Amino acid sequence: MSLAFDDYGRPYIILRDQGQKKRMKGLEAYKSNILAAKAVANTLSSSLGPKGMDKMLVSPDGDVSVTNDGATIVEKMEIQHPTAKLLVELSQSQDAEIGDGTTGVVVLAGKLLEQALTLLDKGIHPLKISDGFDRACDVAIKHLETISEEIDIQANEHEALIQAACTALGSKVVSKRKRELGKIAVTAVLDVADLARRDVNLDLIKIQTKTGGSVEDTRLISGILIDKDMSHPQMPKEVKEAKICLLTCPFEPPKPKTKHNINISSAEDYKKLYLQEQQYFVDMVKLVKDSGANIALCQWGFDDEANHLLLQNELPAVRWVSGTDVELIAMATGARIIPRFQEITPEKLGKAGSVKEVQFGTSNERMLVIENCQCTKAVTILIRGGSQMIVDEAKRSIHDAICVIRNLIKDNRIVYGGGSAELACAIQVLQYADEVSSVEQYAIRSFADALEGIPNCLADNCGLNPITSVAQAKSRQLQENNPRIGIDCMELGTTDMKEQRIYETLSSKKQQIQLATQVVKMILKIDDVIAPDDY
Amino acid sequence: MSQFLQPTILLLREGTDTSQGRAQIVSNINAVQAVADVVKSTLGPRGMDKMIQTGPKVTISNDGATILNLLEVVHPAARVLVDIAKSQDDEVGDGTTSTTLLAAELLKEAKPFIEEGIHPQIVIQGYRKALELALEKLEGFSINISRDSPQEKRDTLLKCAQTALNSKLLANTKQFFSELVVSAVEKLDPNILDRDLIGIKNVTGGSVTDSFLVDGVAFKKTFSYAGFEQQPKRFENPKICLLNLELELKSEKENAEIRIEKPEEYQQIVDAEWALIYEKLEIIVKAGAQIVLSKLPIGDLATQYFADRNIFCAGRVPQEDLLRVQKATGGQVQTTVNGLNPETFGTCGLFEEVQVGAERYNLFKNCPQSRTATIVLRGGAEQFIQEAERSLNDAIMIVRRCFKANKIVAGGGAIELELSRYLRHYARSVTGKTQYIVNSYAKALEVIPRTIAENAGLNSIEIMNKLRQRHAQGGEEGRWYGVDINGASGVCDTHSSFVWEPSLVKRNALCSATEAACAILSIDETVKNPKSDQDTKMKPKGQPGRPPMGMRR
Repeated sequence: MSLAFDDYGRPYIILRDQGQKKRMKGLEAYKSNILAAKAVANTLSSSLGPKGMDKMLVSPDGDVSVTNDGATIVEKMEIQHPTAKLLVELSQSQDAEIGDGTTGVVVLAGKLLEQALTLLDKGIHPLKISDGFDRACDVAIKHLETISEEIDIQANEHEALIQAACTALGSKVVSKRKRELGKIAVTAVLDVADLARRDVNLDLIKIQTKTGGSVEDTRLISGILIDKDMSHPQMPKEVKEAKICLLTCPFEPPKPKTKHNINISSAEDYKKLYLQEQQYFVDMVKLVKDSGANIALCQWGFDDEANHLLLQNELPAVRWVSGTDVELIAMATGARIIPRFQEITPEKLGKAGSVKEVQFGTSNERMLVIENCQCTKAVTILIRGGSQMIVDEAKRSIHDAICVIRNLIKDNRIVYGGGSAELACAIQVLQYADEVSSVEQYAIRSFADALEGIPNCLADNCGLNPITSVAQAKSRQLQENNPRIGIDCMELGTTDMKEQRIYETLSSKKQQIQLATQVVKMILKIDDVIAPDDY
Repeated sequence: MSQFLQPTILLLREGTDTSQGRAQIVSNINAVQAVADVVKSTLGPRGMDKMIQTGPKVTISNDGATILNLLEVVHPAARVLVDIAKSQDDEVGDGTTSTTLLAAELLKEAKPFIEEGIHPQIVIQGYRKALELALEKLEGFSINISRDSPQEKRDTLLKCAQTALNSKLLANTKQFFSELVVSAVEKLDPNILDRDLIGIKNVTGGSVTDSFLVDGVAFKKTFSYAGFEQQPKRFENPKICLLNLELELKSEKENAEIRIEKPEEYQQIVDAEWALIYEKLEIIVKAGAQIVLSKLPIGDLATQYFADRNIFCAGRVPQEDLLRVQKATGGQVQTTVNGLNPETFGTCGLFEEVQVGAERYNLFKNCPQSRTATIVLRGGAEQFIQEAERSLNDAIMIVRRCFKANKIVAGGGAIELELSRYLRHYARSVTGKTQYIVNSYAKALEVIPRTIAENAGLNSIEIMNKLRQRHAQGGEEGRWYGVDINGASGVCDTHSSFVWEPSLVKRNALCSATEAACAILSIDETVKNPKSDQDTKMKPKGQPGRPPMGMRR
């Protein structure tokens, strides 16, 4: 930090550890902030679009993940720079709110900052720039609403939803199977959706991964899959018309919570104690059997003795079922969770069509599938794939697709993708710019340029000539007055995104533009950075 | 110092840093300038933000008090500034930057006098006199607003809130947020206006305009056990039972010892423990509670028990939230269920669990005794929301102040200029050194409009001249001319363009700035003890006051 000296030439110590702090002011601060943020955006820009590339990220522990999902990339990059961190949070908040478009939002913010940098060089006050961006953002959002179209999500076996899911999956590693995966995602969401309230609780969709097989083997289970097997290998592998008893108490003699120890002084006492314990087991199994249950799922464990007894009494059982699974099973089968053996009643049992143990490939791993539940309110998507990395990436991709479908159920308005919506907004914003008489005009015009950056980036990633293809698309949009002309990334021979059926949700696009503008405004407002001087 | 021939008398511990005399005052003034410089650029509607990194945490702020606090100022004189900023923050909540700037400017104006050899006490006296006159005049200038109709009152509050938000990140959405803030404050008990009863919750994601006001209480879903999802998530006019009680199966007393002889008795002990918890749960259910909230954990057993009986429960509710639920619903927090009385239950119009961004929130709406409100803030990044929260806090404080006092003045530097004009005028009528000093005070006041203009990138000299001329022409119409950052001329009547501030803010700012300036002026000796051994070991430094040169990493 700059030093001040008093009349004797001694430096002031005004701040703690002053010598170790770095301070940047004014233009220097803007530029350093913008450059840092741009660096993040540049990293992501090659991941945008259907032909975007993946990033390989190695964590400090040596775990490798390969992904195309913006939010995941920036999260795993472990960014240190304070301004760049803002972009990370930007991506994550898009993820939290919408779930999709996490790359696009960062790229857009990067383009906006790039434009801001040139404006700053022209000598325009940063707040004028951010005012201009703000006004342009409003125009763009309004225009998005006018060009958006309402779609009928019910029509043609939810065709529109499947298309939207396909668009979301298009840029991922699983894009080859996007149609199948899209269908799975749509069915899953519709199964748990409350269409009347337009609400989807994503907690009810469980995504389970299992390495092995290929992505095609991914399937939807209208029930619950748990990564557990029957407690005894000789128990039946399948229970039909299952009546499930959900227990949150262990199959063992009850223990008081108060500290205790047992002192045994004679052999008779020991025998008595043994018998007493035996009696407990027998009673417990009897209580479960008496209620009519034919399978018991237990949150806790039970020892081999109990296990043996259960087998003898032909009561299949599963131990160490996790708390969240217990809850999901309860929701799906209509069971009540039972905390004590004494409280088991027939009404508290859950019902399911079948509980089946399935085995995968040659590996000795088994899972339990609970299907045809009494009140299907929970579903599971079982993702298969060649390697852990693929499976993980497929999981993230399906999550994105599910989010898109959820957003469409909430708000069924769409815009067309392929950069067409951005281009249309850019044209509109440019028109508006000429009506503004003050300095903001420049900022507004730059906003339009930044919006054009998205189709530009898309074309670039697809190996097209970005300048020619964007110029063509833009002129056609103007000539034909058709806001659906975009970049033909897949080289299908048409640039009309309606024909290509590239759907994106209005809410996601709106959110992208709003969030990006917000963060850029924030970065532009910082004129002073005080930080420990270590980089 | 001329003790060459006298034996040295060691009065202080070795290493103690002393400095005294006039040079000390000048040195202190310089230090204060350095600190004020940091916050200078945050003033006004075109003020910028500061980004301060402390450890892993990054704060982006425009709030003077926050910035000064994070700077970790150690210079003893400069700390005075931090303290006045804080006291302004505590007292009125807004105007922290202007207070700091004003104090620094007063000292800057005093510096030539001190250097020329005028006794500091004379300067202090002059400043005190000027303050007295300024406050008197401030009272006279401030405008009483009619609050006959609630509509007019609301309008005033909205305008004050907007002025407070002007310089913040939320400036573009100030209409929206001023509505939010005013509605929130209106919910409070007008006699007490307890700030703690307005909760602000941050949820990242969404646009700022997705923020909303809950007329009641909202808090994030607490940690839940299996079975929670089976509970109903929506009630109309529920009975809410508030507890400060653990509902878990646990040992009743630590280190208790129980001796039993027969195995049968063993079962009894187990049963007794279960009976204890079941008894508690049963009482709650029997009393007719529909929502059970507890500050302490509610275990899985209780969660499932309640789920079976269509009761909603949440454990580990944060203290402040529980307190606000209590205020809003009219319930009372119970520490035991013995003698649980339905009269202690609270109620509200609607209880709902809803999804906000990636979080689920519990909302208690339409509370009968609604003396509390919650603002749920949305925004792109964590820092963004935090800064938005600080800004809203300022606005809430201002509205609260305005609610009580009904006098306002025009902002944008107008009131400072008017006071300055008056003081200059007055100065001519006094004889002696005071004349100079009152004049300086008047000049120091001009720092506010000047900085606003500078920060907006306007030509401050030109604007100051225009403003001085307007005010000198006097009369009613010239009085409220201040800096206009949007128009071409750079000046406008800020009263008619609704840049309003409660006069209390200005009053407090003037008082504390003058007091701080006087305090610093009256210090003529600093004795700084050497740091204790431990401290020097931890941070090895050459000599005090020199930056460690070889230590850069």
